[in-house]
Amino acid sequence: MSELGLSDLARLLGCDEASVFSAPWEARAFAIALGLSQAGLFTWDEFRERLIEEVGASDRIRERDGTNRQGEYYEHFLRALEAVVTGRGIATRSELVAKIAELQGPAAPDGHVH
Amino acid sequence: MSEHDTSERGPAARVKALEQLLVEKGLVDPARLDAIVDTYESKVGPRNGARVVARAWADAAFRKRLLADAVAACAELGIAGPEGGHLVAIENTPRIHNLVVCTLCSCYPWPVLGLPPVWYKSFAYRSRAVSDPRGVLREFGVELADDVEIRVWDSSAEQRYIVLPERPVGTEKMNEEQLAELVSRDSMIGVAKVTAPGKSR
Repeated sequence: MSELGLSDLARLLGCDEASVFSAPWEARAFAIALGLSQAGLFTWDEFRERLIEEVGASDRIRERDGTNRQGEYYEHFLRALEAVVTGRGIATRSELVAKIAELQGPAAPDGHVH
Repeated sequence: MSEHDTSERGPAARVKALEQLLVEKGLVDPARLDAIVDTYESKVGPRNGARVVARAWADAAFRKRLLADAVAACAELGIAGPEGGHLVAIENTPRIHNLVVCTLCSCYPWPVLGLPPVWYKSFAYRSRAVSDPRGVLREFGVELADDVEIRVWDSSAEQRYIVLPERPVGTEKMNEEQLAELVSRDSMIGVAKVTAPGKSR
């Protein structure tokens, strides 16, 4: 457990830290969340509560079996954003799913699109 | 993929769909999103915090105001913004070293430090900063004497922290601008020390 922690941190410290986002979608997700909260559609604290839940769920899985199944920080962030958006009725899950399909075509048979 | 589950799609596709849907609903403006990204990628960042630290080193009265009310002191330098309320400055001394973490998520003082680095949000850092701060600092290359007390500050919605590092010896003749150049982001989180130019740590 702590061995995993050590190598994890060492790896992260070696990353290039010049950019605060490691992919364009992370920046976009951040901007959508901040933009919606600044427009008054939800408060940042409300979003943070949801983010804490997502991070906590991922941490519990890691503590249990050492896996990283829930992904890294911005994947938690995106799940929290989707949850607040749908929870607040800003958009529905089915609207989101339909829009993904519209933009990307139907899912591959294994359900994964990367 | 179930009809109501977005999670099996790649995140880039999900974000793109979310943005487009919100644009169609008139709830977000892509130009506004561009501006937010640009702000946090290139305008708001640890250079702001470095100016605050340099001012505190150069001006004892400012240092006192910073430690008493960091929000007001930063505002004197025109530094404010989202996630900037509840800011507290904590001072390193020869006997006390401060280390900042957010164990629950990623709370961080955006106006002075920008957005947090990848490692700050990692499970490894969040889980070990409290349980083994000395070990974490060693991994960052900071060896502290046994008699130095390490204080770990867990950030929250109510409280954010900036570490005021110790001013290195040999910088007495430097002006504020030169001092600010020495101050790294990591030193303001507490995982590095500030060193005088030409000296390795």
